[in-house]
Amino acid sequence: MKFVDEFRDPELGAAVSAEILAAVDPGRHYKLMEVCGGHTHSIYKYGIDDLLPDQVELVHGPGCPVCVIPMGRVDDGIAIAQNSEVILTCFGDMMRIPGSNGTFTDAKAAGADVRMVYSPLDALRIAKQNPDRVVVFFAIGFETTAPSTALTLRRAKAEGVENFLCICNHVTIVPPLRALLESPDLRLDGFIGPGHVSTIVGVRPFEFIPADYGRPLVTAGFEPLDILYAIQMILAQLAEGRCEVENQYKRVVPYEGNQAALEVLSEVFELRPHFEWRGLGFISQSALRLSDAYADFDAELRYSVPNVRVADPKACQCGEVLKGVIKPWECKVFGTACTPEHAIGTCMVSPEGACAAYYNYGRYARERPQAAETLA
Amino acid sequence: MTDPGGCADAHCITCGDVAEPMRVLKIDAVRALALCEDAGGSHQSIEIALVAPVEPGDELLVHAGTAIACTERRALAEAEVVG
Repeated sequence: MKFVDEFRDPELGAAVSAEILAAVDPGRHYKLMEVCGGHTHSIYKYGIDDLLPDQVELVHGPGCPVCVIPMGRVDDGIAIAQNSEVILTCFGDMMRIPGSNGTFTDAKAAGADVRMVYSPLDALRIAKQNPDRVVVFFAIGFETTAPSTALTLRRAKAEGVENFLCICNHVTIVPPLRALLESPDLRLDGFIGPGHVSTIVGVRPFEFIPADYGRPLVTAGFEPLDILYAIQMILAQLAEGRCEVENQYKRVVPYEGNQAALEVLSEVFELRPHFEWRGLGFISQSALRLSDAYADFDAELRYSVPNVRVADPKACQCGEVLKGVIKPWECKVFGTACTPEHAIGTCMVSPEGACAAYYNYGRYARERPQAAETLA
Repeated sequence: MTDPGGCADAHCITCGDVAEPMRVLKIDAVRALALCEDAGGSHQSIEIALVAPVEPGDELLVHAGTAIACTERRALAEAEVVG
């Protein structure tokens, strides 16, 4: 398939790996954060970690929307689902994210009508098929997913569908990155920028990272060669004393983003004053809610929700993992009490979560195999 | 889709920053949707507002039922062959 096979070529991978090795200063340690959970997944799936010299450390960022959702929001969704007229719809991974009294799957087992959907459009279809029920879509995701919700709400409004509501948990990527850069816990040398978020917002919103914090960022695609090229580009910037935003994923990402998407986002949503992020706490203007023009579709205005902040389980260290302070296997319960089958923390539930990705693909193997072997 | 839950290949394509390549088969101009086919041959109605206009044969990157980019335009590909 175009743009897939050529970005999984093992020979090219070995060549870029050699370029990375050549760009590394042997006396320096490089800490690079991949912002996006999709990158974390690709890194483990293709063994990219094993193609890098020891001096280059990849740190996993907060870019998995399922992983950063706090338990209180799950409780709010379950409270809405418990209304007898409601059909709660959500993406697959949300079904197993624990709230303080269980998951959406548990709520479904207890009698609530909770259904998994592939897209907001599917949720709207369920609403049209069930005019005597109220279909609530539990919306999550970064700027990649938010336009899909926005377009569906615009469609519902245009078609006069009155039994379709949304509980909006969409978040934005720039505020948590700024919070991470302000954090004293973490010293980073550069960022692998989120590819598909950038398809929507463009590359320009990330210019503050080199300008204000002196760190390079390279927006990257999700194939193994995309990620290797991005690492090579960051290291080249550091070696040459440059510090700027570059776009490795030009085949998909326009520098200025997608104007149609930005327009529908500003029509349907507005920024929340603050929003709680798992592991990162409350961050100002980091999430979206429905605008006044779409207030009739806001499930939080229609139904009462607990809206309570719930502390994470004490044993769980998802917060430190999400901030990149510890590696997944350094968590006390990783692979023992917390596994994908019986997850305590969100990072183990979502395949994009660092813990699940490491558990599924890396598990306990700590030794690095010979470079280039794992790409094929 | 091969996995309506969106977690095919142990990989959630809806809640991560991940998009799936799909080929446009037919345009529904009235509803502003496109019938698309994924690599496994499954069909799905896709929102095309962000990449319009598209035509049958174009390849899209699809995230959560919405095309977020057009990676290959059939007309351009044919022009290259002719050229």
